Amino acid sequence: MPDRSPDRHAIGLRNVTKTFAGSALPAVGDLTLAVRPGEIVALVGPSGCGKTTTLKMINRLVEPTSGTIEVLGDDQRSMPAHELRRRIGYVIQQIGLFPHRTIRRNMGMVPELLGWDGDRIAARTDELVGLVGLDPDLLDRYPAELSGGQQQRVGVARALAADPPILLMDEPYSAVDPIVRERLQDELLALQAKVHKTIVLVTHDIDEAMRLADRVAILNVGGVLEQYDTPDGLLAAPASPFVASFLGRERGLRRLALRRVADVEVIEGPIVRPSRTVAEALDVADEHGTSWVAVVDERQLGGWIDRAELEALPGSTSVGGLATQRFVATVGATTPLREALDVIVTSRSRMAAVLDGERYLGMVTIDQVAGGLDA
Amino acid sequence: MDAVRDVWEFLTTGDNWRGARGIWTLTRAHLHISFVASALALVLAVPPAVWLAHHRKAPVLSVAIANIGRAIPSFAIIALVFPISIQLGLGLGFWPTCVALVALGIPPLFVNTYAGVAGASREAVEAARGIGMTEGQVLRKVELPTALPLIIAGFRISAVQIVATATLGALVGYRCLGTLILEGLAQPTAARDRLLTGALLVAALAMAVDFVIDRAEPRLVPWTKRVR
Ligand SMILES: Nc1ncnc2c1ncn2[C@@H]1O[C@H](COP(=O)(O)OP(=O)(O)O)[C@@H](O)[C@H]1O
Ligand SMILES: [Mg+2]
Repeated sequence: MPDRSPDRHAIGLRNVTKTFAGSALPAVGDLTLAVRPGEIVALVGPSGCGKTTTLKMINRLVEPTSGTIEVLGDDQRSMPAHELRRRIGYVIQQIGLFPHRTIRRNMGMVPELLGWDGDRIAARTDELVGLVGLDPDLLDRYPAELSGGQQQRVGVARALAADPPILLMDEPYSAVDPIVRERLQDELLALQAKVHKTIVLVTHDIDEAMRLADRVAILNVGGVLEQYDTPDGLLAAPASPFVASFLGRERGLRRLALRRVADVEVIEGPIVRPSRTVAEALDVADEHGTSWVAVVDERQLGGWIDRAELEALPGSTSVGGLATQRFVATVGATTPLREALDVIVTSRSRMAAVLDGERYLGMVTIDQVAGGLDA
Repeated sequence: MDAVRDVWEFLTTGDNWRGARGIWTLTRAHLHISFVASALALVLAVPPAVWLAHHRKAPVLSVAIANIGRAIPSFAIIALVFPISIQLGLGLGFWPTCVALVALGIPPLFVNTYAGVAGASREAVEAARGIGMTEGQVLRKVELPTALPLIIAGFRISAVQIVATATLGALVGYRCLGTLILEGLAQPTAARDRLLTGALLVAALAMAVDFVIDRAEPRLVPWTKRVR
């Protein structure tokens, strides 16, 4: 979990400006931005808006023209640049593996710079292979022999080798195809759940930012910070027309994608127990205004019965003996609300049953889903 | 066919191989001066090229200087150094020849080293700085090793040219395989066996050097060959 206390930050930029020699306008203008320990912050914005420049100022690959940057509580200039960088993992789009070194020796580069002995480096390499999900058989190959996705994992492993508290990533997934990208994004989230780094991620892909980041900083040309908020906060209340247009259409739907069924209140739904009679079942259907009832026994969803079928039977018949139809409109507690909405609108009854494994938790309709956005 | 028979007879005559004027001695001397010149060229060309390329200094000038070096005839250098060498008491044959060979060997090494270091993967170099290498480490651990295939290619060109050109040493009294050619020239046409054998041996030696470097290369830069 990211540390939410406001006074602590892992990275703090204060009034940072960078004007490159020979250019009239700053690439980054008066940027103030704090990153809390353990959170993933995405810097997003159109091409040329200063994302890379901002990232490189954090590890001093670019020196700010003015302003200060604190890293882990110290002014970043309080130590030599190379020492600062050894505490900060760095992953770039082109990955930049060392072509003349095997994968093993690529991963071991930072520990080597730090003077670790061979045994310790070897042990760490084995650990990293597992952490980033790399095939150990690849360790003795050279970078050119690996696929883009594999190289990307090696790049992340190399950055994490000396267990730095901070990780900077510059468009790490833009060079791999969409399927691999999605898998690598999932892997990053799984990795982050284990290692709890402070991660600053640069991307031009707003969806990637929304997917991965705890907070998103939207930059405009000239490195101007337009808005800095959680994905949900951005979608709920874009601070400017620029942010709104950058976020794109369907903001409501995209907010739904960020929340899960478990986040909303469910209703009980038109359900009867098997021990009830047909007359009682018809009352339940009336009460809910549905043309069907579902049979639920001890929190197990049995199936549903059509109202017309019930009406044809004597009122005292027990529901338990009747044939039911399988309930297909179901969602899980962890299903994103956007997916739940899809299930609801494609179901005949505009309702979906919420199941936790086999357990019946209730029903959701469009009303409940839409209510999720108010929370 | 006469020529082939002449060379064959010359080579199969044991006396021609032995003694102070024999093929063995001449070959050894030929290799000796070639080795010294190649080593000196390496030492004189690589470090400045690496330094200049790392700092991206004087790219045009560097290539121009190297090209001028290539354009000056080796024979002229020998002739120029010859009197100086005598004045300095360094003797007749070896040093004038060696200086000319070093001058010949420097350009390909220099140009290739510069191109190799300057052409090191920008991403790898950026990553190297980004993960905390000092400038010296970037140079030693990334730029120089990734330039190695090109440096080796440059060394190969240098070494082959040096071996072929060391022949000229005979003109200023350095006894090497060129001496056979010179002796052949001085004799009537009937004695072309010496001339032809000398030329053949020089060519064979140059090709052997080329072959050895070619074989050694995958061991020195294993990451280039295994890619395909
Ligand atoms: N080394 C540099 N020298 C001069 N201008 C630069 C340099 N690096 C970046 N810029 C300029 O600064 C601006 C921001 O660049 P960058 O941070 O790379 O943008 P982004 O990563 O958001 O696409 C661009 O206009 C770019 O041309
Ligand atoms: Mg960029």
